Amino acid sequence: MPRAAPVGIGLRAPHYAAILERRPALAFLEVHSENFFCAGGEALEWLGRFAEAYPLSFHGVGLSLGSADPLDEVHLAKLAALAARFEPRFVSEHLSWSSIGGRHANDLLPLPFTEEALDHVVARIEAVQERLARPILVENVSSYLELPQSTIPEWEFVAEVARRSGCALLLDVNNIYVNATNHGFDARRYLDAIDPDWVGEVHLAGFERAGDCLVDTHGARVAAEVWSLFEVAVERFGERPTLIEWDTGIPPLEVLLEEAARARAILSASARAEAEVS
Amino acid sequence: MSALARIQGDFMRSLFEERAADARLEIYRRNVLATLHDALAAAYPVVQRLVGAGFFREAAERFARAVPSRSGDLHLFGGGFAAFLADYPHARSLPWLADVARLEWACHESHYAADAAAFDFAALARVPAERHGEIRFALHPSVRLVRSDHPVVAIWEANQADRDGTPERDAGPDYAVVHRESGAARPRRIERGEWEFLERLAAGATLAAASEAPGDEEAARFLAAALARYVAAGIISGFAAPDAA
Repeated sequence: MPRAAPVGIGLRAPHYAAILERRPALAFLEVHSENFFCAGGEALEWLGRFAEAYPLSFHGVGLSLGSADPLDEVHLAKLAALAARFEPRFVSEHLSWSSIGGRHANDLLPLPFTEEALDHVVARIEAVQERLARPILVENVSSYLELPQSTIPEWEFVAEVARRSGCALLLDVNNIYVNATNHGFDARRYLDAIDPDWVGEVHLAGFERAGDCLVDTHGARVAAEVWSLFEVAVERFGERPTLIEWDTGIPPLEVLLEEAARARAILSASARAEAEVS
Repeated sequence: MSALARIQGDFMRSLFEERAADARLEIYRRNVLATLHDALAAAYPVVQRLVGAGFFREAAERFARAVPSRSGDLHLFGGGFAAFLADYPHARSLPWLADVARLEWACHESHYAADAAAFDFAALARVPAERHGEIRFALHPSVRLVRSDHPVVAIWEANQADRDGTPERDAGPDYAVVHRESGAARPRRIERGEWEFLERLAAGATLAAASEAPGDEEAARFLAAALARYVAAGIISGFAAPDAA
């Protein structure tokens, strides 16, 4: 019996009870770290139950890695305490910013792809890794506009962040597709710029269309074009822990498990093909 | 200021203007306001039901522009909404609205507050009876005390999912203790005397000071019974024994 490919899903409150009851075969569960920053109460009790049943991944949305503001030490301390308590397999954040001058937009905002931003975000990632005493994964985000100050193509910026900081990349294939469409570049060229050794995790999610722009809503099934791009990514990077994300208009658990099965099938087919070649 | 800080400062300002300069920036502006609105709607479901979705969205967006979010943890956003509603000209005809918001924020805080160890009855039994008055009882970290001139607990109860919105009382004042019951935080209306007693305990008063015992036996019995109830309900979760004499 071949080993199941390492596919997980995003863990959201509407599915808590169903997952614990059914115990679907999933390689890991990913939560938004900030949802468990509370001091106590039932959220942490739930998380404790899931930690006993599955490997966890803590995916941060609020650290504001790319901000010119100082790192939020309170936020980091909460993340460090949470990671120490539950010992997740992965800790990840986004290659974006969300606050400046102390004001938070609580959204993943685009960085200007400049040498200055690159130096800054690399230093920040190093500081976070030092503070947490572990490597983190950093995820490429979707964007709806390109800042006119940018001087470096996004894929080179992302590759350079990984090369310089030693962080692993959480490569969101949907975000690459969304950005390729929104900004008119070749998504395969983006994948080609990424060294397979740097890819620690892959995300898949659904987008929605708003006029001429694709918006990364995490509120739909993975699009056919994104599955195709995922196949290309798997061919290039090999088997990587892969996650189905769904955050808005959350469907029954069954839908996420179907998406996870599809990802697993693509990973397994690729592994078989590789075995035949060698 | 670095170029990065300048770019980010300009971007942030544009997110909180009435309308963005171009369509792509407008996507970000709408997303940010939707996120902040959703965070408020999650913390203030009763306020939202009372005023309706449209009124709530407008109030939430005005609040989000006026009162910045200060953390990457969205659970911390929205503590000032009650004060905002108290001054909101369009809510003037709803004099109880701000107090309902205050009660909901107390529930929100309570829901995420720290846990406490089980009450240590054995340790309490070791305190000599003649020194009971010197004990300082501690409220559970999830306890919040709210008082209002309006019947806010009745309004809160009437606007839970299984109710039609008609409050059982139409006049206050209401004295409420909020705490977690089997996981979920909710308010309970209590007598004014008990509320004031709990408030003094919360401020760190000894049992004797908190009781302000008028000396009659009835009051003492009342307090002993109340104390037992609060320990059983998890509202009182611990105590500090008197210093050894």
